Amino acid sequence: YLKYKHKEEASLMPGPCLSYDCIEGIIGGVDYSQNKVNQWTASIVEHTLTQLVKQGKPFKYIVNCAVMQKSGAGLHTANSCYWDTTTDGSCTVRWENRTMYCVVSVFAVAIAL
Amino acid sequence: MDDDQSAEETAFVVDEVSSIVKESLEAVIGRNPYEHKRVNQWVSSVVEQSLGQLSKLSKPFKYIVTCIIMQKNGAGLQSASSCFWDNTTDGSCSVRWENKHLYCIVSVFGLAI
Repeated sequence: YLKYKHKEEASLMPGPCLSYDCIEGIIGGVDYSQNKVNQWTASIVEHTLTQLVKQGKPFKYIVNCAVMQKSGAGLHTANSCYWDTTTDGSCTVRWENRTMYCVVSVFAVAIAL
Repeated sequence: MDDDQSAEETAFVVDEVSSIVKESLEAVIGRNPYEHKRVNQWVSSVVEQSLGQLSKLSKPFKYIVTCIIMQKNGAGLQSASSCFWDNTTDGSCSVRWENKHLYCIVSVFGLAI
């Protein structure tokens, strides 16, 4: 089965590897299941958020996760942010296996100290 | 009276944000069918237009707008978000919209400066 690795370098963001590992841990070897997808997306965002907060950096975080069944449908996503481009940042990870796609976006907004 | 007004001016008002998003969706996508070549443009336009209108509100917020468009063909889609922020000042709003041919989920996060 297919796996995409989309590791981006981001000096500000701790995101990419962290999100990828979280996704892998929760839905790594499983097939899309309508009954469980609710749980999965909740676990992925919570787990990712917990790991980010543990890093103890002065940021507010938003973690967004979408899981889509593979059935030939097209899916497009976009983000736009109105913030301080010198201190804030984001990172998006795309993951897939045989039966589903997963897109996780992490946004970090600096807290004024 | 004055106090209420200034609280309103600096709060994240879900209804206000929700109607801005719905207007952008109607204006950009409206009744169009899912078209692979145009969807890219649509997601970008929806987020940019929404963000433009939001910044015109001149509230002391940083904004993050995300948009997902999916073709209707029976596939399941689940989206979740988790946020680490200040509960008293920050807020979010998710709008689920559809027409005959596609689904769209737009999420707006407002973080107080």
